[in-house]
Amino acid sequence: MKSLSNYQVSDHLPSREWVPTHVQIRQYAEASGDFNPIHLDDNYARQVGLGGMIAHGMLTMAQMAAMLSEWIGKEGRISKLDVRFEQIVRPEDKITFGGSISARSGNIIMCDIKAFNDKEERVLAGLAHILQQ
Amino acid sequence: MIEKEFIGRESESVVLKIRLEEVRRFAEAIGISFDGDAVPVTYVGTLLQANIPGFELTNPGMIHGEQKITHYRPLSVGDSLSYKRSIKDIYERTSKLGKMVFVVIETTGYDLAGELVFSSSSTLITPVKGDADEESV
Repeated sequence: MKSLSNYQVSDHLPSREWVPTHVQIRQYAEASGDFNPIHLDDNYARQVGLGGMIAHGMLTMAQMAAMLSEWIGKEGRISKLDVRFEQIVRPEDKITFGGSISARSGNIIMCDIKAFNDKEERVLAGLAHILQQ
Repeated sequence: MIEKEFIGRESESVVLKIRLEEVRRFAEAIGISFDGDAVPVTYVGTLLQANIPGFELTNPGMIHGEQKITHYRPLSVGDSLSYKRSIKDIYERTSKLGKMVFVVIETTGYDLAGELVFSSSSTLITPVKGDADEESV
């Protein structure tokens, strides 16, 4: 595997795929304490105009972080993660996370990050800073 | 209704210890491996116990628009933290879906020596109920 030090500006990061399930969303609600019924009750989510249950944005963001953590291993840590949630993520959507290196400065690697669903809609976009150790 | 006068309002500080079982459960829910020490970067998003007085955030149909997390130092299991939440901004925007209220809430965490450990900013978006309601007033 390529070491972090060998990544150059504009290089792509390894991608990661994820399919959220009802079970995982329930587990995340319990682990995070976010029991907003838009994540757990399909009828409620329809009544408030969301068209059905949605995954927690923070669960999608955690998957983005997991992609970065798998990439950096023990060579660094995520010091900054800023994201916009651009489209709703629903159970059984197929989400692909990816990114590229936008800049390097000292021991910080700056990355553009994004995630798409299987309809090619961008569901998340943002930036991450990796502090090389 | 969410009023602009809430800007600047903040919670009391809450002191807690990062507990192994809770971080493990969080890692399992996400589906990642966990080494028993380093806390996943988005874990600080679960620190929601610090209530902002008079401010209720469970509006029907509210969605999460943005999240920005910065870790100024690594966070490990067993660390003690003091954190508080505050309302940084409230504003309205009109989109193709109608009028929306945006609320920006910041959580800041310090170690027990008072050094900043993390900051985490959430933008929450709530649709404003139709203009019909306003006309009937």
